[in-house]
Amino acid sequence: MNMNRRFAFTVLVLALSIAVRLSVAGEGERVFIDIDSPSFTKIPIAVAVFRGPATQPRADEGPYLADEVSRYLDMTGFFHPLPRRAFLADPAKDGVIAFSDWSAIGAEYLVEGEWQRDGEGLGAVVRLHDVVKGEKVLEKRWTERSGAVKPLARSIAASILKGLTGDGGVFDTKIAFVVKRGTSSEIFTVDFDGGQETRLTDMKALTLAPRWSADGRRLSFTSYRDGNPDLFVKDLKTGATRKVSARPGLNLSGSWSPDGKRLLVTMSFEGNEEIYAMDIASGRLTRLTHDTAIDVSPTWSPDGKRIAFVSNRSGSPQIYVMDADGSSVRRLTFEGTYNTSPAWSPRGDKIAYEGRIAGSFQIFLINPDGTENRQITKGVEHKYPSWSPDGRYLAFTAESPRGAKIGVMNANGTNIRFVADGTNPAWSPVIP
Amino acid sequence: MKKRSVVFFCVLLGIMFMALLVTGGCAKKQVQAPTAEVTETASEDAQAQAALQTAQKAAAESMTEGQAKPAAEAAARPVEAAGEAKAAAAEKAAEKADEKAAEKAEFRDINFDFDKATLRADARAILKEHAAWLKRNTAARLLIEGHCDERGTSEYNLALGERRAAAAMKYLVELGVAKDRIKTVSYGKERPLDPGHNEEAWAKNRRCHFVLSD
Repeated sequence: MNMNRRFAFTVLVLALSIAVRLSVAGEGERVFIDIDSPSFTKIPIAVAVFRGPATQPRADEGPYLADEVSRYLDMTGFFHPLPRRAFLADPAKDGVIAFSDWSAIGAEYLVEGEWQRDGEGLGAVVRLHDVVKGEKVLEKRWTERSGAVKPLARSIAASILKGLTGDGGVFDTKIAFVVKRGTSSEIFTVDFDGGQETRLTDMKALTLAPRWSADGRRLSFTSYRDGNPDLFVKDLKTGATRKVSARPGLNLSGSWSPDGKRLLVTMSFEGNEEIYAMDIASGRLTRLTHDTAIDVSPTWSPDGKRIAFVSNRSGSPQIYVMDADGSSVRRLTFEGTYNTSPAWSPRGDKIAYEGRIAGSFQIFLINPDGTENRQITKGVEHKYPSWSPDGRYLAFTAESPRGAKIGVMNANGTNIRFVADGTNPAWSPVIP
Repeated sequence: MKKRSVVFFCVLLGIMFMALLVTGGCAKKQVQAPTAEVTETASEDAQAQAALQTAQKAAAESMTEGQAKPAAEAAARPVEAAGEAKAAAAEKAAEKADEKAAEKAEFRDINFDFDKATLRADARAILKEHAAWLKRNTAARLLIEGHCDERGTSEYNLALGERRAAAAMKYLVELGVAKDRIKTVSYGKERPLDPGHNEEAWAKNRRCHFVLSD
């Protein structure tokens, strides 16, 4: 029996080409599913109706909580929650778990547990089982003080994602973006799941280029509030907005260094558009580019050692890479005549950018050494890629004559989901 | 707030109407008329009114002459008829105004090729007119706005728009306009003149726009 299961598991792994990598976590070795593999297929998962307490007979939270957990798992793009009508068993009624009932419907994982409502709020104990191995992978207890089902479901889904992939922080992130209204615009934020759309600025003027600090506590942006495109930094805790540069010409918000100390800015006060590193504490500038062409849109590598940016020094906008001190400038893109908006993956291995192909702008990925250039979107225009902090997703703008929408997709271009109307997304770090 | 915007809208309408009369109906041309020329424009307005009245009178006469059908149609469309008469009058007024055109602050936009900030021959010709006017009207100051079409990214286009404004400023300075009278600002692709998504709209949107102030 045990041998059979092992054999079945091996066949399954081969058939689905799911690569498994070893990773050390805590005391023991933990096996995570490699959801980044190009041949990855969604994990079939069954979320059973949660058992309610016998003392609360009007137990409608059970199915609702299961539905919400399924919805959040589906949103990750890495799970395929199986429909409840296909289930052969109901742990809420049966009291025991027969794994064969779940493997028979194709589930690889099973989520089941109990919920209860008391003075503390809405509580739940949830267990995640590997159906193929017949093992419990995870057991955790939560209490949602607000008593609301959705945030509880979100926490459960985040734990399941973390338990299986090693990283579930994406549920605690936001996306900042620009909403245009006539000749003015403001910056908004929206949660990863599309909830809690909030206006962040009140500049009553053209306001652009939101960028998060590495700790997620500050946001820089450029606004025409006082006529000129000036640079501002908003403290998200106190709400205070400070003008940090109002030099003549462009003061364009670029990219915060991983250590949070420096902000890359495009400025033109010395005659043409150059990239500068601004020390946030002192305001001191270090000029990094020295070229009569346009140099714009800088993005740090995650180790803070290199910077990718856009320059038209070759005659058309292309992506370049340089060292953090401005030396060793090298052109990265050679295909196409209009490549802009580089975004360096938090994992360091890819740079996303938008390029023009057959008259349409689409998102591409390229290695920082210039190899493996690959288009990942098609159809309507896809622009302004911005990475999730775990490097697994990209936010982008989909533009059509009907308007601009903020979308989220897996880093391989699949599982597109729209979260808001707007443009120029910037994905936040994990906000504690 | 609402009142202010209504007043602003009325003033804007007034300016647009005057611009229509002076330029012979070309809405693309923007006029920043200094105060001295307002009276002149007003007199042209009077001319237009007179022409309108003549046209109306003629329409009334045609009715008495028994040409009932076209007259009835004209009566049924009084607004259109008035509009046509006004346009005709404006054309005449514009012809007369042509002789004095050199003195008008008629700061036409200049246009650019895609992803370029180099001045085309047509742009240089227009800038020469602007430079000549600025040299005659030394009190005026100029703001050059650089704009781009919607293609490409916000950021690159902000830089490109700035290049366009800078190129226009450089040429005006070469033509003898004092640099300290000119300021530039780039709006990138954020403020298109034509909201369309085609080459016709893009060609209009790749521009420098000129705003005069005292």
